[in-house]
Order: sequence, then C-alpha cells, then structure tokens
Amino acid sequence: MSPPARTLLVLLALSVCACGPQQPPPTRETLTVSGAPYDRGLAHGTQLRSKIRSFYTTLLTNSLFPYLSRERPDIASLLTEYQKERYADGRFAYELLLDSAKSVERTLNRATREELQGIADGSGLSYDQVLVLNTFVDSVLAVRGVALAIRQGRAPVVEAVELVGAGADGVDNDGDGDVDEPGEGVFSPWAPELNAQAVELPPDVKLRAVFVDPDGVDPATVRVTFGTELFTQGSPQLVMTELAADRLEVVATPSQPLTMGAVVTVVLSAGDKKIVDNPPPSHASFMRDEELVFTVKGAGLARQDVRRPRLLDHRTRPPTFALGARGTATAGDGAYLAQHFALLDANTSHKHTVAIRHQPESGPAYVTVGWAGVVYGFTGMNERGVGYACSPSDTLDNSVVGSVLENVADLSQAKLLATGTPIGFVGRKVLEQATDAASARDVMAAAKHVYGWTCLVGDAAGGLEAVEVDSDVFNSGTGGIYPYRPEDVDATGRPYASVGADDLLAGSSYSKNLDDAPVLNIAGTRMVPQRQWSSFFFRSRRAMDGVGRKLKAAYGTVDAATLQGVLGDPELVDRSDSMNAVVLDLGARQVRSAMGQVPATDGPFEVTEVRP
Amino acid sequence: MKRLLLAVVSCAFASPALAMETQVLPKGTWMLDVAYMRSTLDKQWDGERRATSLIADIPRYEPGGGLQGILRARPDATFHFLLMQLMYGVTDKLSLAVYVPLVLNTSIATNLSWEPGDYQGQLGRAYSEDDFWAWAASMGQPRVPNSWSGNSGKLSDIILAGRYLLPQFGWMKSSGFRWAGTLQVALPTGTNMDPEEAVSAGTNLWELHAAGTIEAHLSADQPFLEDDGVSRGNVGADVFYAAFLPRKYQSGKGTLNPLLNNIAPYVGDEYWIDGGDWFGATLSADVVPIIGPTRASIVSGNSLEKARTLPPLLTLSIAYTHIRTLQSYWRSDSALWSWEREKMWQPGEKNLLKATLTISLLRVGLPVQVYASYRTQDLIPGRFTRPANVFTAGVRTLAKFW
Repeated sequence: MSPPARTLLVLLALSVCACGPQQPPPTRETLTVSGAPYDRGLAHGTQLRSKIRSFYTTLLTNSLFPYLSRERPDIASLLTEYQKERYADGRFAYELLLDSAKSVERTLNRATREELQGIADGSGLSYDQVLVLNTFVDSVLAVRGVALAIRQGRAPVVEAVELVGAGADGVDNDGDGDVDEPGEGVFSPWAPELNAQAVELPPDVKLRAVFVDPDGVDPATVRVTFGTELFTQGSPQLVMTELAADRLEVVATPSQPLTMGAVVTVVLSAGDKKIVDNPPPSHASFMRDEELVFTVKGAGLARQDVRRPRLLDHRTRPPTFALGARGTATAGDGAYLAQHFALLDANTSHKHTVAIRHQPESGPAYVTVGWAGVVYGFTGMNERGVGYACSPSDTLDNSVVGSVLENVADLSQAKLLATGTPIGFVGRKVLEQATDAASARDVMAAAKHVYGWTCLVGDAAGGLEAVEVDSDVFNSGTGGIYPYRPEDVDATGRPYASVGADDLLAGSSYSKNLDDAPVLNIAGTRMVPQRQWSSFFFRSRRAMDGVGRKLKAAYGTVDAATLQGVLGDPELVDRSDSMNAVVLDLGARQVRSAMGQVPATDGPFEVTEVRP
Repeated sequence: MKRLLLAVVSCAFASPALAMETQVLPKGTWMLDVAYMRSTLDKQWDGERRATSLIADIPRYEPGGGLQGILRARPDATFHFLLMQLMYGVTDKLSLAVYVPLVLNTSIATNLSWEPGDYQGQLGRAYSEDDFWAWAASMGQPRVPNSWSGNSGKLSDIILAGRYLLPQFGWMKSSGFRWAGTLQVALPTGTNMDPEEAVSAGTNLWELHAAGTIEAHLSADQPFLEDDGVSRGNVGADVFYAAFLPRKYQSGKGTLNPLLNNIAPYVGDEYWIDGGDWFGATLSADVVPIIGPTRASIVSGNSLEKARTLPPLLTLSIAYTHIRTLQSYWRSDSALWSWEREKMWQPGEKNLLKATLTISLLRVGLPVQVYASYRTQDLIPGRFTRPANVFTAGVRTLAKFW
C-alpha cells in the first residue's frame, strides 16, 4: 500500500472510533442507601457529591440568598437585630436561614443529624450548609409569608364588593333562605369564599367594588376581568370614581348579557399611587388578584357546590396539589396517592432530582422523592405500604410569626426564627414509624410544625386521611392539627375535599383550617386568614376543582396511569416551577415519579420499587 | 559578511507551484509574510445545521415566582489580527516556519434582548428588560454591557511548523506531482477568556477554533496546462489531523458577576477543556489568468531564463476544506455543568470555502507578493461548529543571506 493511502486509512480509522457524542448526565438519579445513618448519609453525599454542590450553589448561593438579602433593609428597619455586622455584606439570607436551621436542628434526632453529617463529609459541603439545604424550604416559606403580608399591607385592599342586581332579582342568591334581603349581593368587608360568592344572578348583573389605599389607588393600574372580558382604564365597560383620596369606586358592566347557567369568574386587581423603589425594580404596590365566582340564573347549584372554572388569562399558574384515591374510586380496589409539586425550580432544581431508597438498619425500607443532598421528599412511601404527600399551605400561623410575637413588646430582640420540625423530616418519621394511615396521621399530629402544610396520608389497605397543619402560634386549641377523612363533612354537610366516597384532594390551601389565623394588627402588619392574603389561595382552589372534575370523570377506573395523566394535564401543570410528579401505588409498593425536566411531567414516569 | 541578496529569490520558485500546498523554500532562503486578518463570528451551527446564537437563551426565574423572562444574547464578535510568518529553508526539501498571531483588537456586541415571562403579582406586570436588570442589580449583578472591546496586543498561540517535500517517484517526476508532509505545533502563548467578566474572549487556538495544538498534514500538488514554463493551472489536496491538548481554565468565583459567574463552588477552582480533535481534507484549484511581463532583474539574478520560472503576475485560487470535529470534553467537578458546554461541541463538521487572489511582482523585479483572501463557512452549513468568516490581506517577501 502506498504511503498516502496508508495515511488516509489511519485518518479514516480514527474518525470511526473517536467521533461518538458525549451523553448528557442524568438529571434524575435513583439511589439506594443502607446501613447506619452516617453511612447512608456518606453514601448519599459521596455518590451525589457533584450534584449536591451544584444544587446548593445554583439554587441557594446564586439565587435564593441574594434574592432574600434584598429584604434586609426593610426587615432590619423593624427588627434591628438584623442591623448587626453578622448579617451585612450579603450574608443576611444565609445567616437568617442558618439561625432557623440551628433552631429546628434541636427537633432532629441524633440519627438524622448523623445522616446530615455523612452527607456533608461525602459532598464536601459544611455541616451547616447541609443543614440549611435540608431546612430552608419551611423557613423560607415562613419568612416569605411574613414579607408578603407586610408587602400587601402597603397595597390597595378591596373594601367591599357588590353584585348589583342581586338585591332585587327575586332570587335567594346567597343561600341563606331569604330573598332579596337587605345586603344581598353585598360583601362588605370583602372576604373570598372557598367556592361561589353568589348564585343564580341575573344575566345583566354589574359589579361594584371599592378599593382603599392610604396612598391612593391608581386608576391606571385597575384591571377587571369579567368572565372572558378584560376591562382597564379607558374601557367603556369600566367606570371609575374617586370617592376620596384613598378610595376608588369601580363599576364594571359586561358588554353582553351573561350566558344563562354560566359559572363566571371576576378577577380584580389594582396598584397604589406610590412608587416603591426598594427592592427594585420600581413598582407600585399591587394587591393580589382577588377572585369572585358566581353563577348566572339557570345553573341550579348551591354556592358550596360551584367549582371554579379554568382561567386562561396567563396570569395564574397551578400550584402544588395532591390527591388520594382508593376503593370505589379505583379500577381494582387499589390505593394511591399522587402529587405534582411545583414551587421553586429556578431552572436548577429539576437537574438535581433523586429518588432515594433508604434501607435503615432497623425499621422498614422506604423511598423518598426529592433532591440531591436532601434526606427527604414531599412524597414518600415505606415498605408497609404507607405513604404521604405534603403540599405547602400559606399561613401566618407559622413559627416565624410566633418568634416575632414572643418579642413583640421589644422588637429589637425579635428575630425571624423558625421553630419546630420541617415537614420533610416529619414525613420521614411517618415512613419510619407508621403502620397505616391512622398512625401516619398521629405522627404528623405529634410534631410541631414550622409552617403550614396540607398532607395526605394513605395505606395499602385503603386508609386515607388528610392532615392540615400550622404552627398554632395563636393557640387555637387544636394544636395546629386539622385531620379529616373522605367521609368527614363540614358544617354544610359536604365533604371537606372529596368528589366521592373514596378520594381526597389537597391543594396549596386549607379546606378545613379556614380560620388559620385571627384578624388582628401586629406592629402595623395586618394578620388575616389564609384566604385573605395568600397568593396561592385562588390558584389552589381552582386547581383542586380542576383535579376534582378529572377525578370525577374517571371515578371507578382510577389507576396509576390515570393519576399520571391527571398530574400531567396541561390545565394543572405549572410550566415554570414544576419540580416533580409522583404517584404512590401503595398496594404495589411502587413509587412512580416524573422529574428531571420542567415541567416534570414532560418526561416519563419511572418506577422505583420500595422493596428491591 | 552576510548580506541580503535578492537575486536568489528565483531559487525559491524553482517549481512555481500555485496553490503551494507543498511549498518549501530552497536552502538558506527566508520568507517573511505579514498579514492583516479580520475574523467575524455571529452564530454557531447546531446538530441540524441550523444557525443559532453563540449563547443559548438564558431563562431567568424569580425564586418561587416563575419565569421572569428569557434573556437572549446574539453576540457578534470581530477579531483583528496581525499575522507574522517567518519561514526558512533548512534544505531544499525541508522548511521550518514560525507563525506569530498578534491580536490587534477583539470587539463583541452582545445584542441582548428580552422576552417577558410570567406575570409577577408583586409588580403588577411581567418583568421588562430594565426591570430585570434593576432586580439583578439589587443582588449585586451588574447589567451585562452592550459591547466589549479588549485583547489588544495579546498573542494567540504561536505555531512552529516544519514541512518536508517527500521524494518523488517515477510517475511523479514526469507529471510534476509534488507531495509534502507538514507537522505543526502550537505553543500555549494565547490567553484564556476572563472567568469573571460577563463578556470576554480568549485568544488561544481552541477559543478561536482556528487550528489544533498539533497538526499533521499530507499535501500534494499537481500542476497542469504548462505554458512557456509556467503552469496555468494546479490542483492541490491536503489531508490532516489536528489534535487539541487539554487546556486548563480557572473557574469564575462571581467576584464581578455574582449571579452569572459563580461556578467555582461546584465546578472546582479550575477545569480542563479537552477540545475535540479534527481531521479534514482540502481540495484546491488555481488558475493563472495573467502570467505578466517578465524581465531579468536582480530578483532573478539578471537572468531572463530564471525570471520565466518565477510565479505569474496574477493567480486566482479557490479551496474547499471539510473538517470533521470530534467531541470536546469539559473536565470539571460537575458533570451537569460540563455537559451544558459539551452539548454545543458534539461531533460535527466545518465546511470552508476560500478564495485567494495573489499578485506577484517577482517577475518584474520586486521580491514581493501581495495577496487577499476571503474564507467563509456560511455557504455550506456545518454542525456543532462556529462559522467564522475571515478576510486576510498580506504581503510576503523573500530573501537569502549568506
């Protein structure tokens, strides 16, 4: 062979053997850790070292810490403890969360602390960093709740709403047994309902609302969505009158008579006239989008039976929700829990997902679905067939508010300090100890909670319960625990959150703990129940109603595939902050999880056997 | 006493090959080539041969508040180089060269734009671009500049090369066929991009994607259409393999851009880029439309006969180069981070078309050649590569000392 030909052959051979593309690393992992707590942590930390470090840096150091640190000037002006040097130079968020982490660490048993130490040793992060990584969700939610409440205190408030025409239509619109009594169709003070505000309204109904803000309500920011119509300043259907410097009346009239029998959603929003420059960007203070639902004559539904229709205004995203199904709801007397968790992806969480099969030295094996470096998930199941799924539920009855209340007489001593046990650790305790849904509920009830959560617990035998929790800082007498089962009913005789005899729904809001916080004023900040301030409340109620419709349509045929379909239904998917979707097949001891992409349900559900 | 003698230049072109894939200098001859080069780059080819931005879209999220928006950059980079090449004929068959690329300037227009994301309840609107940068500034992240200029006076990697004219066998001699082997090695004199700056560009050969650290070439020329001692045409070919040695980079610590460049905690303080090797082939063709006047001069040693062997006045060349690029690897502590880069540099290809016009004044007594060329990668899309378009204008002169 001639030299040129030989050279050419060598080059060709190189091209054939060396041009394979690099394969992407997995964005979801399945890990089995066994042995003593420290050894399990060490295995976790070692095997996921790279991901733990990148998860911590990209989510916390590069995203959450600087974001929270923007709040320091505002918070330090009220709580002067945060003016100290320790919280300066960008360290505010880390030190704030470390304070809370150290506080909640006291509720963790020795085995858990050893496991966290193992993760630290395996990953190269410090123990404190691992502790923060494992506790920040509850702490941040609680701090966020306080910050949001303060922020909303500066925004316009809906003082009153009137459905004009309800008082003279010859119909009992509020279900109180009286027809056109004085005040029918008037909601003053305004407080949203779980379901419809009124029913059977005339098709030519108008809406009158009064917004109040000490800085004045800016008419240019007013926005009224009336069914499918959007009215803003300049719309002929929207008449605005400044009743006083701090009071704006808005009257909205639909362009056409409303469709008979329709369920109509009205969304109100407004900002004030004062521009806030810090934290940037400059903006008016905006109230949350307030929603009001009613039916038009012919719907034939009681207020409590009205379900919120889907909103297509591109301003609302479904939050975390969960559902449980058993017995008659299912195809073969199965038992399932399912959850789509959506909270904080920040373009990074989905790259660090992991299903961990824990095989402790004693007690049952269990699987949690979570993130690298975190020892728990918001869903999990043990080999006894007991599972849980917990969704955040905003409340001002949280431990951080409690820490401020303890020092309300001298705010210079007050800190935003979380206390209690983060829900993920409570969930793990459920998996370690519970033998059925009832004992799972008892484990949940025995814990002091950092924040508000709505959890579903279930077992392979069909046990199914919901447990709504808060921190009970107002001493409600319940211990902050609000359990119910599918068969339990509210004061109107309706189930709290079920569409049939064998299911439960749980959104990012309470269905039983409706008066989670009292209405009062603390240091100039208005404390109100969840439904009056939470940005999740309306979104959650709508998502729950959407889930309920889909569950009802599939009743009697529900299986794991059905639930996977519900979790991935576009109506119920937050395309920005979806983090994982999990179906627990309690009978089969299978954890089916979709994760590793955004939204999580854009990928397949993969099965992890609890018993390998 | 050593002195410059231009009269011997004719020896350099004992065989006036045109494309000069196989050009070597006669023993003791020097060639100095100085050129200006302007290289522009504004896109990359994806795996489907589609033109995409050099930087992937950057979605930005409000923690817990959904998508703030998508930051899009459409960078347009321009490099200005001064290229200096010195070549020396060690023997009549072996020449050595040193190639010194000096960056005159690099300028980058970032061409940022913004696509608003989710509605933000606390603002009463979705983030605008200004909103986003105000938000970022509140967390210590300065706005990324619209343009950047730098690298003035920095070296790229200096290349040392040797070319050996291989023995001609029987049929080669009779047909005028020449073939040569070339080995070139790059010295790591170029710089890496600044790990802390939001916008910067390195000057090393990997970042320029211009040549490998080590390259081996096998080249050939076949002249034809001989006219009074000068070939009116030539077909040349070159096959080569280019290897990139791993190059070490420092990781950003976010000292200037905390939200964008703080990667060291999980990538490691340093990482390595093992650039994917290349193998490629070039086909070239030259035509001589004008041989030009020829006169005896000091360049030809006052010999008209030798002057007739000098290169023609005007030569037009076109060349097509196809390069297969292999997978590039980022070696860091984070496989996820590495993959975000590696996916842009999967096995791919480049298709280069180059046209060159050369004016040689040797035949009229001046030992000077001027040339201009334009090389484009736009006409035939590649895959997983960045198509730089390059204009070059230069002058070369030859001399001999003894």
